[in-house]
Amino acid sequence: MKPMLLYLLVFLPMALAPVSYLIGRRSKGLRDVFAVCVGGLELLLALAAFFLRPARAELPGLCARGLLLELDGFRAVYAGIIGLMWFATLLFSPEYNAHHRNRNRYYCFNLLTLGATMGVFLAGDLFTAFVFFEVMSFTSFTWVIQEETPGAVRAANTYLAVAVIGGLVALMGLFLLQKELGTTRIAELHALAAASGSKGVLYTAGACILFGFGAKAGMFPLHIWLPKAHPVAPAPASALLSGVLTKSGIWGILAVSCNLFRNDPAWGAAILLLGCVTMFLGALLALFSIDLKRTLACSSMSQIGFILVGIGVMGLLGDENALAARGAFLHMVNHSLFKLVLFLCAGVVYMNLHKLDLNEIRGFGRGKPLLQAAFLLGALGIGGIPLLNGYISKTLLHEGIVEAAGEYGWPLRVVEWVFLCSGGLTVAYMTKLYVAIFVEKHPQKQDQYDAMRRCMNPASAAALCLAALLLPLLGLTAGRSMNFLADLGTDFFHSGAPEHPVHFFAWENLKGALISVGIGAAVYLLIVRRLLMKNGSYLDRWPKRLDLEELVYRPLLLRLLPAFFGPIAALFGENRLTTRAAKLLLRFGSWFSGLFGENRLTTAGSKGLLRFGAWFSGLFGENKVSAPAAKGTLRFGAWLSGLFGENKLSAPAAKGTLRFAAWLSELFGKNRLTDPAARKSLRFGGWAADLLGENRVLTPLSVCFLRVTSVLNRVLCGLTDSVALLPRNLLRRLRRHRQEAGLRDPHADP
Amino acid sequence: MIQGILLAVILLPLAAGALLPILNPRTRKTRACYVLTALLLEAALVTWLLLQAQAEFFVFSMTEVLTVAFRMDGVSRLFLLIAAYGYLLTGIYALRYMEHEGRENSFFSFYLLSLGALAGMDLAKNLTTMYLFFELLTLLSMPMVLHDRTQESIRAALKYLFYSIAGAFLALLCIFFLSRYSTTLEFHGGGNLDPALTRGHETLLQVIFFLGVVGFGAKAGLYPLHGWLPSAHPVAPAPASAVMSGIIAKAGVLAILRVVFYSVGADFVRGSWVQYAWLGLALLTVFMGSMMAYREQVFKKRLAYSSVSQIAYVLTGLFLLTEQSVLGGLLHVLFHAVIKICLFLTAGSFIFNTGKRRVEEYRGFGKSMPKTMWAFTLASLALVGIPPASGFVSKWYLAVGALDSGVSVFTWLAPAILLISALLTAGYLFPITIAGFFPGKGEPVPEKNAEGGAIMWVPILLLGLLSVALGLFSAPIVRALETVAKAMF
Repeated sequence: MKPMLLYLLVFLPMALAPVSYLIGRRSKGLRDVFAVCVGGLELLLALAAFFLRPARAELPGLCARGLLLELDGFRAVYAGIIGLMWFATLLFSPEYNAHHRNRNRYYCFNLLTLGATMGVFLAGDLFTAFVFFEVMSFTSFTWVIQEETPGAVRAANTYLAVAVIGGLVALMGLFLLQKELGTTRIAELHALAAASGSKGVLYTAGACILFGFGAKAGMFPLHIWLPKAHPVAPAPASALLSGVLTKSGIWGILAVSCNLFRNDPAWGAAILLLGCVTMFLGALLALFSIDLKRTLACSSMSQIGFILVGIGVMGLLGDENALAARGAFLHMVNHSLFKLVLFLCAGVVYMNLHKLDLNEIRGFGRGKPLLQAAFLLGALGIGGIPLLNGYISKTLLHEGIVEAAGEYGWPLRVVEWVFLCSGGLTVAYMTKLYVAIFVEKHPQKQDQYDAMRRCMNPASAAALCLAALLLPLLGLTAGRSMNFLADLGTDFFHSGAPEHPVHFFAWENLKGALISVGIGAAVYLLIVRRLLMKNGSYLDRWPKRLDLEELVYRPLLLRLLPAFFGPIAALFGENRLTTRAAKLLLRFGSWFSGLFGENRLTTAGSKGLLRFGAWFSGLFGENKVSAPAAKGTLRFGAWLSGLFGENKLSAPAAKGTLRFAAWLSELFGKNRLTDPAARKSLRFGGWAADLLGENRVLTPLSVCFLRVTSVLNRVLCGLTDSVALLPRNLLRRLRRHRQEAGLRDPHADP
Repeated sequence: MIQGILLAVILLPLAAGALLPILNPRTRKTRACYVLTALLLEAALVTWLLLQAQAEFFVFSMTEVLTVAFRMDGVSRLFLLIAAYGYLLTGIYALRYMEHEGRENSFFSFYLLSLGALAGMDLAKNLTTMYLFFELLTLLSMPMVLHDRTQESIRAALKYLFYSIAGAFLALLCIFFLSRYSTTLEFHGGGNLDPALTRGHETLLQVIFFLGVVGFGAKAGLYPLHGWLPSAHPVAPAPASAVMSGIIAKAGVLAILRVVFYSVGADFVRGSWVQYAWLGLALLTVFMGSMMAYREQVFKKRLAYSSVSQIAYVLTGLFLLTEQSVLGGLLHVLFHAVIKICLFLTAGSFIFNTGKRRVEEYRGFGKSMPKTMWAFTLASLALVGIPPASGFVSKWYLAVGALDSGVSVFTWLAPAILLISALLTAGYLFPITIAGFFPGKGEPVPEKNAEGGAIMWVPILLLGLLSVALGLFSAPIVRALETVAKAMF
């Protein structure tokens, strides 16, 4: 019985989805009724489940590892909320969609998403959750793209990209978890993680799962799809996207935070930080937005931030985290309900005007009390005004932060102020919406708007009332109903009961709400009225360029990374490297094999060899060596034989001998030697005899002697004469000299 | 009896294929009857064979070592099942598709012949037999690529031939060494290397085994010998691309599996540089294939690159050498076959019905050909690995197997690259679905057409549904392949 109920909750809508499609091909009206019935049935099943908890159902063998569904208090509450929200939106859908195309597709995927979402919340292990989570991402994709306008297509692509990337990253986390702990059973994670030594792997796994589920939740910096997807999706789908699908992301973060990292301050601090940024940034974006649904979408982001702050504080507080846990859980529930109301109101506006720009829809709500009341309840609720349910959850969250501030000091004081400011901004942007739609008048079309008295049919009105009445109901009976809900969540959150009951309407707690309202009023009056409006019309002052998606993600993922990795992949993919190498190798190979194949080497070699052979054999064949040798020999032989045959040697020798002999004999025969000698000696003898005989020697000698003696004689005679005459001459000379001197000297003796 | 069936499984398609040009049926109807009978009979025989506990048949010995013999084991069963049923569904589709291609006798002849070669390869008992049929498969599947007889297709066919034969010779080198260093060439889980012989020659053998796997990798599209796939698939007729990518390329996987696990043995290469080199190549191929597919605009070429990437998933699983990763690989063999046949057949349907080959021309096809586009979408989801479709299951085992493998950096790199590649896969498949079903407001929607008649869309849709259902109900498959994977170590 119990497992059957869980199967039905998950698989019945999935099974009926194609049925609705088939019915829709026959009759549109019947299909609408059928879909509402499925929604109602689901709601009833969820209520039944509430009384049958806890339950557990295993589907062994599905998806190889088997799926596990569980039902505890938290899951039962969410099953109820899912049933309620689907029922309300399905009730609202026929009128909203009346003039749209592709409605069959819409209903089919709507019911598929219902089953998948139920599956995520009922999952007993992260594997099951992931399976349904992915199915949900893909089936809900059709909501975003339903209108098929360029904006819708673009937003849907963003949604799908975030879902796929988030899903894959989360899957990596699951891989790591499975590897490290051997299971993804949520109930077992805590004990196994405590026993596991490798914290690093677990943190990595946790971060991956946080990325994946956080992307769905709309956590900064993965919130980019929210402000894009909600305005373009049909309003009932926006309500579901915002109210339930984002919560499935929170569910995943909770499953990790409350089990794997139960009471882990480091993890809590990380979530808290991300939560603060998400909370404040979402509120800021909502404040600047001038599109009704975009404002609500940014508001969703901001409220998710509130919940994340609660989860973060839970981690920080450790065992005494009951307040934060209850706050986070109740805010989840409350936010689902607010967004149901608010998006349905937006749907009413859109289905009448087909416009969402605040300047265009101004004054539409005037004179439409039901719409006005519903919107007001939603706005007050989300603004955290006392007596409504939002006040309760925000107060609990605030209490939790204050408690943590007692433990951690100033950083948490900062968080508290960010929290209060975000609450203030919430009040401001809801006031902005309310004033625009219900207070101000449209400058031109107000009459036209006033004439649209019947702005919705009874079914839609019933859906809206159902959703809106829950808010004060819960708010007014907070002590019972909200506490009851919060108690149901303790199993899943693993938080104890609060140490002391919270007095919601004590001054301490009212103060926080009043501060927020004060901030909200100030912001509305000073910023919205002064800065964001000009001449009574709303201006979009948010810088267009300041868009994380357009500024970072799209260029990075669509241009930068492919531009970088594409050519690298092409390098390998088109085998540019290996082709070149292979070509080189081939060229070398062909050259090399040509070397052998065309026998370049051997041809040259053999040619050389041939030439040598030819020469060599010619050498012998043509007797080039022996012929000259033979000729030479012959010539030599001839010469030699001539030498002897013709007595060339002996004949001259003989001749020579003969001649010599003749000469010799002549020499002696004719006395050629002696004759001249004799003649010479005779001639000498004659000369000698002459010489002596004719005294040719002595005569000249004696003549010479005589001549010499006569000369000498004369010389000697002359000499003696000279000596004899000397004294006389001398005297003569002396006299002569005195004469001469006396002549000159008168005194001389004359 | 069993032996007879075993032999019939191999010979029937070979004989049917060989007889087709001789009988030369004149009318489409007779040919269709003939082909269908052959394929159905083959499927029936294979089914019967798969139900048997074991089957073995010895044919003859060329020499003492080189024998031709067949035996059916777990791996054979998987590949045989894929081949018989993949060919059957594709064959039914091809009956209509080939009408606009012409030369149908020639096509179906080689279609049947290649099935016979595949069956022989799947059932081979030893390396010799497997190599014999591996080469045969190359030669018999090549004519399907040049079916068009255009210059482009002939070039592509020659490229296919060149790559396959170049790879086969690297593989042959490996077989030579295996016959020298192992006790037998028969396949035994855990390998047959003789430690007494291999001692001291480890490095040499590792180099040879590396080359052998790279060689067989040519058929599986493993970098660097993947080049033929993106050339051959776009020009071949769609049914030929489907079986070549889904089934024949898996012959490369089978060959690698037989060499690594049944001849060499996982223990011999575990932890060595060879394993790292193999993993490096496989992961490079995974990423490169996806990235190239992402950049490619011609649909069939995109699918060809996708096959390169996806078969490398399988090889990654094998090279991690753990039971779980091998299980993931084997699962992916089956799932990828179903998915890729489906995708190629949808590509064929688009071409057959509209003549459009580029993905940007497929806008609005979801409206004009809803059944085909739905099958495409389901198969895309499965290929990306979106749960509960089949690709998710195989990737789960691959990634967890990788994380458990302890192969240094690859423990985390392999899952990371698998996921990045999955993202790219989403990037190159989903836009087609989105533009197909959501052409945009005011965009012209192509006229509704018959999607080629039931004979074309039924096999496609069946495969598309199968690609999701196999993932959803994969537990028995996982159990069966678990025992197969266990027997490999």
